[in-house]
Amino acid sequence: MTSLKRTQRSDQAALNISNKVYVRSTRSGKVQKIVREVYLRTDIPCSSNLCRTCLSQAPRNAANEALPFVLSERPAGTRSFPQGHYLVPDTNALLNAMDLFEQSSSFYDVIILQTVLEELKNRSFPLYNRLVGLTKSEDKRFYVFFNEFRQETYVNRETGESVNDRNDRAVRQAVKWYGEHLALTKAAKIPAVVMLSDDRDNLRKAREQGLHASSLRDYVSELEDGERLLDMIAESQSQAQGGFKQASQQPIYPEYYTASRMMTGVKAGLLHQGIFNVSPYNYLEGSIKVPAFPKSLLILGRENINRAIDGDVVVVELLPQDQWKSPSTKIIEEDTITKNENADTEERQDFVSDKERKALQEEVKRTQKASGENQLQPTAKVVGIVKRNWRQYVGHIDPSTANKGSSQGRKLDSVFLIPMDKKIPKIRLRTRQVSELLGKRLLVTVDSWDRDSRHPVGHLVRSLGELETKAAETEALLLEWDVQYRPFPKTVLDCLPKEGHDWKVPASKEDPGWRDREDLRELLICSIDPPGCQDIDDALHARLLPNGNYEVGVHIADVSNFVKPANAMDTEASIRGTTVYLVDKRIDMLPMLLGTDLCSLKPYVERFAFTVIWELNENADIVNVRFTKSVIASREAFSYEQAQLRIDDKSQQDDLTKGMRMLLMLSKKLKKKRMDAGALSLSSPEIKVHMESESSDPIDVKTKELLDTNSLVEEFMLFANVSVAAKIYEAFPQTAILRRHAAPPKTNFDELADQLRIKRGLELRTDSSKALADSLDKCVDDKDSFFNTLVRIMATRCMMSAEYFCSGTQSYPEFRHYGLASEIYTHFTSPIRRYADLLAHRQLAAAIGYEAVHPSVRSRGRLEAVCKNINVRHRNAQMAGRASIAYYVGQALKGKVAEEEAFVMKIFSNGFVVLVPRFGIEGLIRLRDLADPEPESEYDAETYTLTTKGEKSIKVELFQKVVVRVHDDKDERTGKRGVKMELVSA
Amino acid sequence: MANQQTLLSPAELAYLHTSLSLSPPIRPDGRTSKQFRPLTAETGILPGTNGSARVCLADGTEAIVGVKAEIEKTVDLLGGEHYQEYVKSASGAGGGDAEEDRRQARGEWLEMTVEIPGLRDDDAGTVFLAELLREALLADGEFAKKLWINRRFHWRLYLDIILISPPLSYPLPLLSLTTHLALLSTRLPRLKSEGDEDPMFDDDWEASPFLYPRQGAAAGSRPPITLLVVAVGDSILFDPSKEELAVADSALAVSLCEVRTQKADESMEVDSGRELRLVSMRTVDPPSRLTPPGVPSTGNLAASGTFDPSSQKKQQQQRVEEFPQEGVWKAPLGGTRFAVLDSIIQAVLEKGGVADEVLDGLEGVDLS
Repeated sequence: MTSLKRTQRSDQAALNISNKVYVRSTRSGKVQKIVREVYLRTDIPCSSNLCRTCLSQAPRNAANEALPFVLSERPAGTRSFPQGHYLVPDTNALLNAMDLFEQSSSFYDVIILQTVLEELKNRSFPLYNRLVGLTKSEDKRFYVFFNEFRQETYVNRETGESVNDRNDRAVRQAVKWYGEHLALTKAAKIPAVVMLSDDRDNLRKAREQGLHASSLRDYVSELEDGERLLDMIAESQSQAQGGFKQASQQPIYPEYYTASRMMTGVKAGLLHQGIFNVSPYNYLEGSIKVPAFPKSLLILGRENINRAIDGDVVVVELLPQDQWKSPSTKIIEEDTITKNENADTEERQDFVSDKERKALQEEVKRTQKASGENQLQPTAKVVGIVKRNWRQYVGHIDPSTANKGSSQGRKLDSVFLIPMDKKIPKIRLRTRQVSELLGKRLLVTVDSWDRDSRHPVGHLVRSLGELETKAAETEALLLEWDVQYRPFPKTVLDCLPKEGHDWKVPASKEDPGWRDREDLRELLICSIDPPGCQDIDDALHARLLPNGNYEVGVHIADVSNFVKPANAMDTEASIRGTTVYLVDKRIDMLPMLLGTDLCSLKPYVERFAFTVIWELNENADIVNVRFTKSVIASREAFSYEQAQLRIDDKSQQDDLTKGMRMLLMLSKKLKKKRMDAGALSLSSPEIKVHMESESSDPIDVKTKELLDTNSLVEEFMLFANVSVAAKIYEAFPQTAILRRHAAPPKTNFDELADQLRIKRGLELRTDSSKALADSLDKCVDDKDSFFNTLVRIMATRCMMSAEYFCSGTQSYPEFRHYGLASEIYTHFTSPIRRYADLLAHRQLAAAIGYEAVHPSVRSRGRLEAVCKNINVRHRNAQMAGRASIAYYVGQALKGKVAEEEAFVMKIFSNGFVVLVPRFGIEGLIRLRDLADPEPESEYDAETYTLTTKGEKSIKVELFQKVVVRVHDDKDERTGKRGVKMELVSA
Repeated sequence: MANQQTLLSPAELAYLHTSLSLSPPIRPDGRTSKQFRPLTAETGILPGTNGSARVCLADGTEAIVGVKAEIEKTVDLLGGEHYQEYVKSASGAGGGDAEEDRRQARGEWLEMTVEIPGLRDDDAGTVFLAELLREALLADGEFAKKLWINRRFHWRLYLDIILISPPLSYPLPLLSLTTHLALLSTRLPRLKSEGDEDPMFDDDWEASPFLYPRQGAAAGSRPPITLLVVAVGDSILFDPSKEELAVADSALAVSLCEVRTQKADESMEVDSGRELRLVSMRTVDPPSRLTPPGVPSTGNLAASGTFDPSSQKKQQQQRVEEFPQEGVWKAPLGGTRFAVLDSIIQAVLEKGGVADEVLDGLEGVDLS
């Protein structure tokens, strides 16, 4: 019998073809063998500006242009490579030290191999995205070399070779080829091609081949600020060289289930998957909302939380019923309980430390007392992590863990970093520069959390600056809320009109800009905004029609005229999603030129607008509505106060003022109709920080005043949004961008309703928004006008948050906006600061036949992705805004002591939370701060009453008015300044 | 096999029959009785399959076999899925005995199709051929067990056999050898999950194990081969050509497989490790039965020149009753004699016999 064996490269044609074989498991459970042919080329350029050959061969696009070459002719040198060098990192190097590559001081001229890029994508998608971002930045000179498609650098996997070994070989082959290729250029100084790797075996093999290779540590230590950079290498790396771990240690956390076991379990309904949330008051209590249960599952204790960090997607297993508990009524803060831990030593026995155990013990006692009351919630334990949602965290070093004596030695110290976000556990860092980092805001990344490590291990990314300096704190909160605050890149700015600030509405009506635009310059239009507003989105007009009806127009800045779909500016805006307002700063969604000038409906100049015009009758019912692109000339830009004064001033009888009075009259009718339909008037404590103009230091805090004119603008904006929503839904039933506010599940109000019933004998009805609105109106306390606001604030927190969605993803009844009691709603009126509005503009323009539908406005998949992003961004922007206010309130109070009224919002067994209406801030008052030693207390969960005994005996009830002393306080131990409250009288 | 008509005259058939009945037999292509026609083989020719092979016979017949595997949920005979069992075992009640569970494996997890150019795929002959091969594969009960993943999932194997040349001779041995090689080169993705979980697999194809492990302790049985043996007179002929089949007294499909028993390491004799096991045997209807009989020259009208209606009637009777006459072709009747069966089995199974020779040949094929 003869055996035929085809030789792989028998003929010339076979040289440039190869194949890749792998197994693919599909979502539906199919398993397929996939064979892909790989066609190898010889014209993929090296992209070094030294190389002439590649430049002449490089593939060209339709315009016959080759991509510009990336790598510098004269790259920087180091001690070992004085002739200059190009870096070729392998996957591990990038995994361990992505932060290094993002440095601006070094790491230029880097060749990213396709092999490495693909491997990184599989290992860590966030890191991959960061790397792709780097390769796009022009000044860093990162070049992606498609080595797997170039004939000379392609390597075939040998029999018995693992994928990793093959990839390592591919990296070495590419380094070798680059070296030989560059040598051919005959340049005076040929840069060395240096492989960066942390794999010893790979390094050894590279050196055997005569290639330049260096480990990260060796390479970094040769750089100028090597000391600082060394801290940025991920912890896992240094562990390999004898870091924290001692070999004999036993794992302290239970092992995770295998991926397949979790998958099967989740499918079978035995395990549950969801997003892990940590309670803001108790770091040992987490909760997870899973579809299978109406109430969220509780996860109590370090062992059950099993290394999950807030935001991770985890899989949990229910605990037996006898271990079910009710949510904690106790404040447990990590820094107080684990205060004296030493970051260097890991003492096994105190995995669940005595203090933690005691805290939990009391829980159990209390639960058992209250049991039978059916308040128990199912508990669960984390058995695996589907996806880590670790981000970069901002925090500061716990000074008590820093060993002060050794600061001169430049030796590696282990310290704890306390994150700003209380839900994030302490992170262990190793650094050589403890003394410099103390008292600074730091940005860190979590690298890993192993079974045998009590705390997650991370590394330093960079220092943001001194604690409490405005720059550092602002940047910190932007980073915490993931707000994109870097200046707009050049590609975005290139999309702006060339005329810049000189852009004008074209004088000639023949100009294409005028196509299908209505000339509304004759109308008496004005805008009403907060004082000092620069990005004026909206303007209004109203006039009496001959038939006795009113014509009302809402004119919105025509941003879509300047931001064309799918260009760089549009992409950037869709990523940013919204403009973020901080107390002293605004982070724009669109470049300044558009936001504050060309789009902004400034007074006395002509501007493009998108107009909604209604004909309303005396009762503010719609007789007719139409939408049009227009050109307007705003007559005046009022602040709310100015507008109010003008309306109230009887002597003003000009047409503009009359129009404003008409608007006000109609808006009141609209509001009444809305309220009758069951719209909720909810509250959140809104305050304004007054700044001294020059130093921009806060000098005072005031709650925002609401004038009639505020609600005038608001009513018409809502009105316009509803009209537009109906129109775009009619035109695009599948893809209209709408905003919905789901009705909250009844259980959300259980606690509040119970509290109101017991404490005040009031009934909270939640069967519809109308019922809720009515019952909220009845929640009044004759003695205290604020009580109603307090209840509204608390009710607001029981609600779901509103969200953008794509109309095809929900059925029509789900479109409902609960809070506004509107069947359909969208955002249309602020395109300068919200991306959703911009999309609505494009859809409306297409709906009225003004322009063709762009594919990006039509593709449901893309729109869903955009909605998801802007929902997150919207929330983050709000949070960042609030955090900014909180910070400034703290700053405003600096050095002052104020005694203020406050209301009890929440009671724990060892403290309570109060809201101070004047500052709109909440504060925690712990019993242990009342007296030393901590007074004995009794908490009655049924009547929400906390009574303390002893010398300082008080009784605190829910909704009670108390007086607190508010002052700023710098915690000596953590170096954190915060508002501190003390109880003056109950 | 009915449509495997040969265009040989009764006289030619008789001549062939006579020469093949000699001892030793004289075969038209000069082979010895146990000699196979030379063939060329290669494996791994279809990159998209889990395993494949191609075999070419010297006479120009050529076959390709491709094996594809698909994952499938095991449905309980009683209708339920093995879900409750999983639920039990996942909650810590113990996983149960895997060996025991493997017995649940079922032969229907293998699907086999044979395609022969010019024939419909529901042709009786083709279906019979497929069933013959399938039966041999499943006969030892080991094969289906290889497809068992866990109590909830199994592989479904699609074995597609295509004869790409016209069927010049009965293709059974060719198809069987090709199938054997294809199965030897078949790999299934490596299982990563444990127990009764939803299966998850390694995405590295190189890591996937062979359906029939090559060496080591795991090496058990090999896929069976089916040989076609014919008896002509007292001679037993292996790998008959089309002409030889046309005169065969009886034809047998003999399936056997090789069982590698694990031997102590000290006995380094590699050859002695092979142990043959007869798996199945089926008689095949040889085309010779449909051949027209020869007419002895005594009864030949054309030769005698006379026509006597009464004698014709007599002749017909005579022809049935008459003893076979030397040199006059007569289609064989009846079954196979025991003695013939016995000697066939002997010839197949004896050490250094035909099967050994064929298996040695197959072993020489590079598996890729």
